[in-house]
Amino acid sequence: MRELRKARLVLALLILTSITLIVVDLRGGVGGPLQPLRTVTTAVFGPLERGAAAVISPVQSFVQAVANWGDQQATIDELTVQNEQLRAQVDTADVDRDRVAALDALLGLAADTSVDIVPAEVIAVGPAQGFAWTVTLDAGSGDGVSEGMAVLNGGGLVGRVVSVGPDTATVLLIVDATSTVGGRLAGSAQIGIVSGTGRQDLMTMQLLDPLAPVQSGDVVVTFGSQSGRPYPPGIPVGVVESVSGTPGQLTRVANLTPYADVSMMSIVGIVVNPPRTDPRPVITAPPLAEGS
Amino acid sequence: MAWRRALLIATLLILAVVIELTVLAPLPWWGATPPLVLVVVAGVALSFGPITGAVAGFAGGLLLDLAPPALTTVGIAALILTVLGYGLGRIFDSDERPLWLTTVVTALAAGISVLATAALGGLLGDVRVRWDDVPGFLAAVIVYAAFLSLPCVPGIRALSRRVVPEAFPR
Repeated sequence: MRELRKARLVLALLILTSITLIVVDLRGGVGGPLQPLRTVTTAVFGPLERGAAAVISPVQSFVQAVANWGDQQATIDELTVQNEQLRAQVDTADVDRDRVAALDALLGLAADTSVDIVPAEVIAVGPAQGFAWTVTLDAGSGDGVSEGMAVLNGGGLVGRVVSVGPDTATVLLIVDATSTVGGRLAGSAQIGIVSGTGRQDLMTMQLLDPLAPVQSGDVVVTFGSQSGRPYPPGIPVGVVESVSGTPGQLTRVANLTPYADVSMMSIVGIVVNPPRTDPRPVITAPPLAEGS
Repeated sequence: MAWRRALLIATLLILAVVIELTVLAPLPWWGATPPLVLVVVAGVALSFGPITGAVAGFAGGLLLDLAPPALTTVGIAALILTVLGYGLGRIFDSDERPLWLTTVVTALAAGISVLATAALGGLLGDVRVRWDDVPGFLAAVIVYAAFLSLPCVPGIRALSRRVVPEAFPR
């Protein structure tokens, strides 16, 4: 009986502590009173996760390869068709490229789009039943990574760094329901807000112009932010799958498929140095002809 | 010896958190990630009773809330696992339990944890919570917890008997 009373007391105390933590964290958020606790845990668990990932990485590659066995034949078929189409495009690309080069030279607007990237490996993933899409990378403040940097992989934009430890960084993926990215349609330069939905293969883009011409197959790239934080301009985000006009709203919504497959990531790049801004040349009018 | 019990449980929980986040979560599981931390908390609670179960649940939940890449509100997993650890330790305080019973209660606890996570997140205004994903998570987590508990719960009990024999007088 005494034992039971003690157990109830312990339970009550721990529940009270948990609720206090929840309230304090909700009020404070990142950088709030619980930040020291997070910092310490990150510093301790970062090396542990790195070590475990180093041991387990070959096994994971094997399991993922086995899990994808069925998909690979479909991928080969799809790539064969794509290859044919691309070959046809390449034949006409030279003409287009010459025109583009000429126009570029004419305008003097050869913007420097190179970015400096730190490669990193995904070493831990949040559990799926926690609803959040976050991963841990094995590069941290010691590698020059800091909060707000964009993360890419071969496909396109992956997410942004939201917290950094001494040798790990936590990334909020673009498909997370709290993630928003400023997006631009590559063809028509229409802008909108790309939000994650919590599903790995679906994002939505709210187009700011309700009459913007948009159709499935359009490519969406990042709009870019001030000094490239968090997102430098021109990084591919996804491709438009379908467009739905929401009645009663002033904006239209496009459904996107992200380029980056966030469930199968291993190596990603962290943009540590965004491209410098456009050179902005001075445009001078040509001298007027004599006598006119 | 209290410190030996504490050391054993701390080691088990840290191992479970690291394995769940770096080994289990990156693999393409059907439905959800196997809830290893919850199963370890269940094993500890079923071995040592409600007080140790509640403390282990709080500690394991707090580690899950804080260890990278966690970004959700700190305290939610701690609260849920505290209650589950207490409950598991409380209902079954006899020493010898059949394997099917520990498996069923662990799976049940895993199901409750999924529902509670979604419900608490929804109440606190987390926009990430999608209720149409919950049935899939629920089914997957219950199955994975049942399978994990088959080796883990008897294993933790055997380990506890060896390391902390004075907690098991019979």
